[in-house]
Amino acid sequence: MAATPATVVAAEPIAPAQASLWSDAWRKLRRNRLALGGAVYLTLVVVVALTALVWTPYPMAEVGVGIPYSAPSLQHWLGLDTIGRDVLSRLMVGAQVSLLVGVGTQLVVLAIGVPIGLAAGYFRGVFDQVTTFVINLFYGVPNLLVALILVFLLGPSLTNIIVAIAATGWMDMARLVRGQTLSLRERDFIEASRAAGARPAKILFGHVLPNALGPIIVQATFGVPAAILFEAFMSFLGLGVPPPMPSWGSMAADGITAIRIAANLVIAPAVALSLTLMAFNFVGDGLRDALDPRQRR
Amino acid sequence: MATPILQVKDLQTQFTTHDGVVRAVDGVSFDLYPGESLGIVGESGSGKSVTALSLLRLVPNPGRIVGGQVLFRNDDLLQLSDEEMREIRGRDIAMIFQDPQSSLNPVLRTGFQIAEAMLAHQRSTRSQALRRAVELLRRVRIPAAESRAKDYPHQLSGGMRQRAMIAMGLANAPAIVVADEPTTALDVTVQAQILELLADLNHELGAAVVMITHNMGVVAGLCTRVLVMYAGQIVEQGPVEQIFEDPQHPYTWSLLKSIPRVDAVRHERLRSIEGIAPDLLRPPRGCRFHPRCPFRVEKCFSDDPHLIEVKPDQRAACWVTMDRARAEMGADDLLDIRPGSASGVQAGRLVE
Repeated sequence: MAATPATVVAAEPIAPAQASLWSDAWRKLRRNRLALGGAVYLTLVVVVALTALVWTPYPMAEVGVGIPYSAPSLQHWLGLDTIGRDVLSRLMVGAQVSLLVGVGTQLVVLAIGVPIGLAAGYFRGVFDQVTTFVINLFYGVPNLLVALILVFLLGPSLTNIIVAIAATGWMDMARLVRGQTLSLRERDFIEASRAAGARPAKILFGHVLPNALGPIIVQATFGVPAAILFEAFMSFLGLGVPPPMPSWGSMAADGITAIRIAANLVIAPAVALSLTLMAFNFVGDGLRDALDPRQRR
Repeated sequence: MATPILQVKDLQTQFTTHDGVVRAVDGVSFDLYPGESLGIVGESGSGKSVTALSLLRLVPNPGRIVGGQVLFRNDDLLQLSDEEMREIRGRDIAMIFQDPQSSLNPVLRTGFQIAEAMLAHQRSTRSQALRRAVELLRRVRIPAAESRAKDYPHQLSGGMRQRAMIAMGLANAPAIVVADEPTTALDVTVQAQILELLADLNHELGAAVVMITHNMGVVAGLCTRVLVMYAGQIVEQGPVEQIFEDPQHPYTWSLLKSIPRVDAVRHERLRSIEGIAPDLLRPPRGCRFHPRCPFRVEKCFSDDPHLIEVKPDQRAACWVTMDRARAEMGADDLLDIRPGSASGVQAGRLVE
């Protein structure tokens, strides 16, 4: 009897499995209720936006599906707008715009800001001085002004809005990545990989970037709601996506004239916008805590 | 002996600072033969690490190699393009760093990092490289190599990390391995294991090892030949046994005297070297060791000694040498090791 349990024990792993940075981060993120709630809500928004590609309760651009300024009813859950279009249908399509602008902008920002930041921080020299100068120069100019001028010049369209927001957005990313790279390039393992004959591109993307990924992800996550708000604001000013494409910002702008008689026209897009912004911020906050190695518990 | 695999000739590496030029390596020349194990010893700031980094052209800013030659297989490494030099690093000359804790990338799996060292030079596939990484981990005697290859560096012990670093250094079967104080960050029992491993690999693989260390014991345990550096210059070189038994430069002599020995006569005093290493911004005139040397003579204050053959295979840069110090100044019974105490030459009297 004594022999059998002994073999069973020996079969157990000797060392307990230790968590890597990412599995550790995922565990901490799951414990964060706000971040988890935010993530669930965002998944919902994505599902709604995808659904709107193939189905909306009413065609979003069709005028006069009911009486204009109608209050929410069973047929029209969020009521009808000033020219009798279904608000819920338009809100669903608006989610597409917001997500496209938010995520699209950050993809462009990542694609431009990360390589520039890496190169500036690693190679230093003239390239670093020029980028730093340009970034510092634009720090004195309001981003909104730059974006408005660009949209004005390029003409309002979804792509141009993304370009206009990313035109200044990459600078914060580049600045962050440059700072991370500056400190990482002095680390021993970078010198060790240089001594092993690694190419500069390999060092930057294989060694520096993975170590800076945490802050980059957090920054990008916070950048999404900022871009969405930006787009909403520009649409509110009439420089957003061209009609009949709805955006949460332009819906609020259209409804503002009728706020006394049909407040739902403003409230519906405003609430959708606020909840989405909050959700992104909670997720970003959760990611920041989860990816911070100093908060290991 | 065979032809040297690496010839360093009059290497000069300088650091330009606000206060002036620091000649960290000042005219260092030596040969490295295939398969041999060469120790470079010296205290902090003697230029031994900068010499090692100069071989790979990895001298950190604001350091620059300003002169000399590093001949490897008839090529002067100092004349190669950056791309050619990158190909040499890791493939022909590998480097093992001091602190394995910080020399491995914390976010990449150990096996993957070793595989990368191969992928940087060879056209092997990723899976081949990963398989060979496990082999290498086994070779450096890491138990359970398959699962360790999947571990992140923080999951390994200090000794295992240094073994992994050595595996990475060996990945491309280099002709030369430069080890910069590879045992300093480890505790004593692990140090012994790592040294044993390096000695085994030196024999098994036939790679020449350049061992940079401040520890004479490490040299005695691993190396066949040793260079002693002081203030950016080589002051003595020769076979390890000969240097340990019969050092000819007063600095080497003092260095060996300052090592505690288990077999020493009881009550024999352990002696340190008086004074501090010279400021390389303003190195002393003449022999750089004369401000700390008990055996100095007048000539040491004014003339820079060159390396000359003092015994078969053994060269020292000293006007006096220990043979004379023993015969004329009673070096063996010397208790007072203050500068000039044995020779009676003091700086003040020279001025008079």
